[in-house]
Amino acid sequence: MGTNFFGEITVGQVIEGRPMGITRETIREFAEASLDFNPLHLDSEYMAKQDFGKTMFKQVIAHGMTNFSLITRMMTDWLWPHGGIHRRLETRWLKPVYSGDTVYPKAIVSKKLKTEKGQWVLFNIEVRNQEDILVSNGEAMAEFPE
Amino acid sequence: MEELDLKKIEKDFWKNWEKRKTWDEIRPGELRPTIPVTLTKEMIQKYARAIGDLNPLYFDEEYAKKTPLGGLIAPPSIHVMLMFACTPNDDWMREPGTINAGQSWFYNIPARPGDRIRLVCKALDRFIKKERLFVIHENVFYNQNDEVICSGRGWTIRPR
Repeated sequence: MGTNFFGEITVGQVIEGRPMGITRETIREFAEASLDFNPLHLDSEYMAKQDFGKTMFKQVIAHGMTNFSLITRMMTDWLWPHGGIHRRLETRWLKPVYSGDTVYPKAIVSKKLKTEKGQWVLFNIEVRNQEDILVSNGEAMAEFPE
Repeated sequence: MEELDLKKIEKDFWKNWEKRKTWDEIRPGELRPTIPVTLTKEMIQKYARAIGDLNPLYFDEEYAKKTPLGGLIAPPSIHVMLMFACTPNDDWMREPGTINAGQSWFYNIPARPGDRIRLVCKALDRFIKKERLFVIHENVFYNQNDEVICSGRGWTIRPR
């Protein structure tokens, strides 16, 4: 099953992940689940006045790792039913995500190749917000065992 | 060996914040103190719910048993939680204002409920770019059989 599926994957193919609406409640829930209680995500007073180098966010921001986890969710949703394994993810955070935003993860197949012992698919990763602004990008890699 | 008690975990990252290592004090290559943790089904499912991921591999034991995985597993991104579960309150990753700039992770085998998780981690590099103080840290999570679950690297901007 895995081998056929691998054969049918095409470069340029787009995998769209499920979007997620971010609210103060989802940020709080992620803090409780991830044990990351940094005031960046929870303390409005701190964020209103805190200066981060040349950047002021002025309000709490979502955990970058929420985006990261939504990308892995997209990968496993797509891969596992077809015998694929999510092997790697690299991401960079470009813009903050705030309460009220909706994030849309997407993977675009960039390459397929076989090595001595494996079949691999590489992806370019994008997460955009509701205004189509790129908030994270990166690369992912999946393995399809023969 | 000390065990993690989730009810006792300190949620106030300001508590004793001045005792945490600053950018100047972080030594690349020096191991960070860590705490082994037994991963529970509850921890996994709480994490999965928080990212809206109700995959039956994390929730439905009967279903999971019939798959090649042979039982419940954790989502790959469970290392996000394990990073905080396996480090003490004075670890510099908890410093208020720590900005996550990027991460890269390799997934070897899934973590499973009941796994005894051990983290080996350290700063690998620190540098200044556009007046910002960066630290690169690297992390490897092992299970009770010393098998690698996942390994990864993070880029953070330090607040001081």
